[in-house]
Amino acid sequence: MSDESDPEVASDGGTATGGDGVNRDSRLTEQYERIRQRRRRRAIASVGLVTFVLFVFVQGLSATELLDGDFTWEHFGTSLRNYFPTTTFGPGVPFLDLGQYTAFIIDRNLLFDPEIASLLLEGRFYTFFFEELGMFAIFGQAGITLAMGVVGTIMGFPFALMFGVLGSERVTPFPFNFIFRGSMSFIRAIPALVWTLIFIPLAGLGPAAATFAIAFDTIGNLGRLFVDELEEIADGPIEAMETTGASKPQTIVFGMLSQVKTSFIAWTLYILEINVRIAVTVGVYGAGGLGQVVESQQGLLNWTEVMATLLCIFVLIITVELFSQRLRSRLRSDDEVMGLKELITGFPRRMAESVMK
Amino acid sequence: MGEVIVDSLTKKFGEVTALDDVSFEVPAGEFVIILGVSGSGKSTLLRCMSALTKPTSGEIRIRGQPMTRPRPEVAMIFQQHNIIGDLSAYSNALSGGMNRSGFFESLLQLQDDDDKYRALEALDTVGLLEEAQQKSRRMSGGQQQRVGIARALVQEPEVLLADEPVASLDPGSAQDVMQYLGAASEERELTTFISLHQVNIARKFGERFIGLRDGQKVFDGYRDELTIDVIDNIYGDIDTEGMFVSQSGDSETEATP
Repeated sequence: MSDESDPEVASDGGTATGGDGVNRDSRLTEQYERIRQRRRRRAIASVGLVTFVLFVFVQGLSATELLDGDFTWEHFGTSLRNYFPTTTFGPGVPFLDLGQYTAFIIDRNLLFDPEIASLLLEGRFYTFFFEELGMFAIFGQAGITLAMGVVGTIMGFPFALMFGVLGSERVTPFPFNFIFRGSMSFIRAIPALVWTLIFIPLAGLGPAAATFAIAFDTIGNLGRLFVDELEEIADGPIEAMETTGASKPQTIVFGMLSQVKTSFIAWTLYILEINVRIAVTVGVYGAGGLGQVVESQQGLLNWTEVMATLLCIFVLIITVELFSQRLRSRLRSDDEVMGLKELITGFPRRMAESVMK
Repeated sequence: MGEVIVDSLTKKFGEVTALDDVSFEVPAGEFVIILGVSGSGKSTLLRCMSALTKPTSGEIRIRGQPMTRPRPEVAMIFQQHNIIGDLSAYSNALSGGMNRSGFFESLLQLQDDDDKYRALEALDTVGLLEEAQQKSRRMSGGQQQRVGIARALVQEPEVLLADEPVASLDPGSAQDVMQYLGAASEERELTTFISLHQVNIARKFGERFIGLRDGQKVFDGYRDELTIDVIDNIYGDIDTEGMFVSQSGDSETEATP
């Protein structure tokens, strides 16, 4: 029946134990051959793709001067060691001197401002909240960075919402919605760092200019996420609102925005995370906060102090991300929202459950 | 009041003719069921009547006025109910009356008390007064559909259009929803159009029937005229025997108590 293909199958696949004696259905062997050829073609294509990527990579290496790079590994090693001060511990065991870090962090109020905090300890809440407006100031330099990110996000949000909604094709018909999409693309094309430079004539080099820049950047990035989210929504609720005789703004809020409320909040929290990171970056260019401390200490070649500041940045970013991610996962989950008491008292149990999983 | 005139309505989607020269007149207050298999043009007819879809030719006049855009006096109920999952049943019902309030009023829920009581009354009509505060996303399919009906009632329409309102519900909830629809339309003297594909439910609740097949009107008459032959004609080659078994079963159970 299928004398021709049988030996081939047997020799290649090694599945046929009976040698010549195996008699296979010719329809099966045909399909088997087709699958094999298809897989062979795919394998060749994959090898080709990998070769192409490697080729591009080598071209890129040349362009970035990595091919004939003159690396001074030894110098790099010595300079890295500056970041980690050592002290001897007991009978001459070298040990990382954490004390130097903490001394600098406390001395320069990187994470905590004792003067502002003393108001709280003395119970002068009114002075703390309404005269000193100390909610962020209590966290020292980290507070400034955090505040830049938070205020930038809050200032940018309403404009991002407006541009996002108006950029949606359902709200503004086709060519005109590109007025709003285009302006957001333009804002995105210029990095927040450059926006800071642009705002310096307005507010001087400092946290104010940086905050404006972050707010501007938020319009571009968050607005884009809003537009994308609005593309995904269902027509049903919009049509339902139209048939009730609702006005256009009512249809937009109840028919469209109600569908994306939770994801809009989640995206805003995500942008908040990014904005705090941007606040560090623009700080390096002198806009204040932890970033500026890094810059000034690096200028003074105080590597230990630079490292101490980097640790503070790490603490700040991780805290913001943890907070934002927990909040987002709570928003996305459809369960009943936990009360504050359950949130705190139930923590050990939930932790134990997570460990057991 | 809410009399409805459909005058030689034709709707084409590209090459496909969804509705082919459909005409009928329905006086105010009638309870009409539109019958037909999937793809016979029931949804297109109702969407044209609510002005969500623009007809290719022909006209729909409600209270003598042509339907060119959605109007508050014509309410629509959808198969997928299309209520707002994030809002409570009460807020959803209240949203039906948005045409009577301004943007910020409706946003901050500052409608006048009349409207708020109207929403509660509508929830009472569909048997959901106790569940008014529940988030509608957490309700069952049948309950969500009843919230949709409440929203349509708060709109204070004269004409109520329902596109396959029970198609995605289990038989029990389907009966409930149809009962509430019937009660609401009788209580408020609404001209009601409901599209259905289940003959047994249609027979049980309908007063007047319009049959569509391949976009053409093949039947228009009252309950006593809806014979087996007529249904065979509407449903074409499909074996309708099974439908009649359940239908006679229904009428029996109706008769026993």
